[in-house]
Amino acid sequence: MTKKYAQIGEYTPTEAMVAHAARFLSNFNGKKGLIGTGLPLVASQLAKMIYSPDMIIFVETGQADANPQELPISIMDSRITYGSSWQMGDPEGLYPLSRNEIDFGFIGGAQIDKYGNVNSTFIGGDYNKPEKRLAGTAGAVDIGVFAKTTVILMAHQKRRVVDSVDYLTTPGWMVKKWPEGTMVRREELGMQGGPSCFISSLGIMKFNEDDKIMYLDQYFPGVTPEDVKANTGYDIDVSRATEAEPILLDEIRLLREEIDPLNIYKMR
Amino acid sequence: MKTSKLVNLQEAIQEIRDGDTIFLGGIVEDRRPVAAAMEMVRQQKRNLILLGTCSLSDDILVGGGCIGAYRGCYTSNGAFGISPNMKRAAESGSIVIDDIGHLDLGIALMAAQAGAPFIASKTCIGTDVLNPDYDNLSKVTEIARNQDMLPNKKYILMEDPFFGMGTVQLVPAIKLDICICHVQMVGEEGTVRIDGSLTHDHFAALAANKVIVTAEKVVPESFIRQDPNRNCIPCTSVDMIVELPWGAHPGQVYNYYDMDIPFLQEYANMCSTQEGFIKWADEWIYGIKRHEEYLDKLGASRLEKLRALPPYGYVPRKKGGVK
Repeated sequence: MTKKYAQIGEYTPTEAMVAHAARFLSNFNGKKGLIGTGLPLVASQLAKMIYSPDMIIFVETGQADANPQELPISIMDSRITYGSSWQMGDPEGLYPLSRNEIDFGFIGGAQIDKYGNVNSTFIGGDYNKPEKRLAGTAGAVDIGVFAKTTVILMAHQKRRVVDSVDYLTTPGWMVKKWPEGTMVRREELGMQGGPSCFISSLGIMKFNEDDKIMYLDQYFPGVTPEDVKANTGYDIDVSRATEAEPILLDEIRLLREEIDPLNIYKMR
Repeated sequence: MKTSKLVNLQEAIQEIRDGDTIFLGGIVEDRRPVAAAMEMVRQQKRNLILLGTCSLSDDILVGGGCIGAYRGCYTSNGAFGISPNMKRAAESGSIVIDDIGHLDLGIALMAAQAGAPFIASKTCIGTDVLNPDYDNLSKVTEIARNQDMLPNKKYILMEDPFFGMGTVQLVPAIKLDICICHVQMVGEEGTVRIDGSLTHDHFAALAANKVIVTAEKVVPESFIRQDPNRNCIPCTSVDMIVELPWGAHPGQVYNYYDMDIPFLQEYANMCSTQEGFIKWADEWIYGIKRHEEYLDKLGASRLEKLRALPPYGYVPRKKGGVK
């Protein structure tokens, strides 16, 4: 296959994010993943088509080795049931996580902090009267606690990529030890795993080995490291960043024509 | 002699009392007891404590003013956005919310099913689900008709004494007054068969004091007993049966019908305001007395387009589905 690149402007930042996420999933060909609702479902469909055909998909509504023939609309959709090896219920769908069988979890969210903690519960105001109520824990907690690693996907904006999340839904590298709520390394609470990267609409972020703070690893063509800095709510290190490979015409064509022709996920 | 469990929808819903802890089967838009929820709105149930998730059918209950408190793990309608009535209620502070983890929901129902008082997990360790400032369990309990249905603590942390797995939480059993499931098939004596995801139904039904099953089809018990391994809830745990074809519309039922996307989109759009919800409910709930009227209003041609195609269990996009 000769690589034909798309020009900047021929795709949206969301499509770039999803395409890069699908590429990252090539690290998990033949591995078991628990895929969250929303854009992770879309990216995993693209990955199965070109980067990771032998990736094994589990879903929290009880499917093992799911092979949806078309894009699911929700996290429980008949499209996920048909063609799966096994269909039970939600608890059985999550047990592979708590049994430590899942190699990677793949989630979206609304807010992420410098330690890779993700918020999908509420933003602004108070827990009992939030400015913006979100979906809540769903599989996001379970994936973040139990998967051997997690991949996180969300749009990159200053109010979303922050120093500290308004509510810690999915644990990253530094988590809360109760009852005091002190921030501790996740290993201290006997938790394995931890996020391997955050793929945004601007680039790919990874975590320092020592202090586990998130830094810019790659920025997408058409984006500068300064853009990433300006759209991040903490002082992110961009000194090690390189430019990512451009988006392929094939990736955009598959997303638009094969995977989401009806634009259910509003990527464009 | 066996007493018949077959009742009509109005009779079944009359069994629900204000302040009950309730669980609605299925999840997101899949196999949700929507017709049952609409009848609960019509009967003006109040101060119910919703356990589990708050998506399509549950969000209708929130809009209809039936829910006083919610303990659960998911308040979204998937691709159609955050459950609009729940979003509004949460943001105005008019509903008590106590978030719990998804796996914890399942295993806490399993504990109740097994008659165990609690179960140990690591699901929410390190997260704000365990934040004492966000622990609203006592506010939930205040609303309950029977306060003994709720535990006296949200969780207890301890070190794993057996395998040295670090900090674990003890999660109390989730007990239910009422469980309502919408399923594909039920026998005349209450044996339930589900196709597609069992979601939490197979646990919740056994964790509830009273179980109402609405079904696409009621079949002879002898038929459903030809293959007991395929059955998910025993007749002994089911109290009432209602035959209710298309009872999960506008959601989907595996092997029966797919989602009604325009209807779901209209719901999401209209219910972003309370006035919009009332307008929507006037048309689809209050203006209608019986489920058959709802189906007539939708019309046969609309419903026929949603009918699942074998062997898929849904309507594939290439064959005219999901527009």
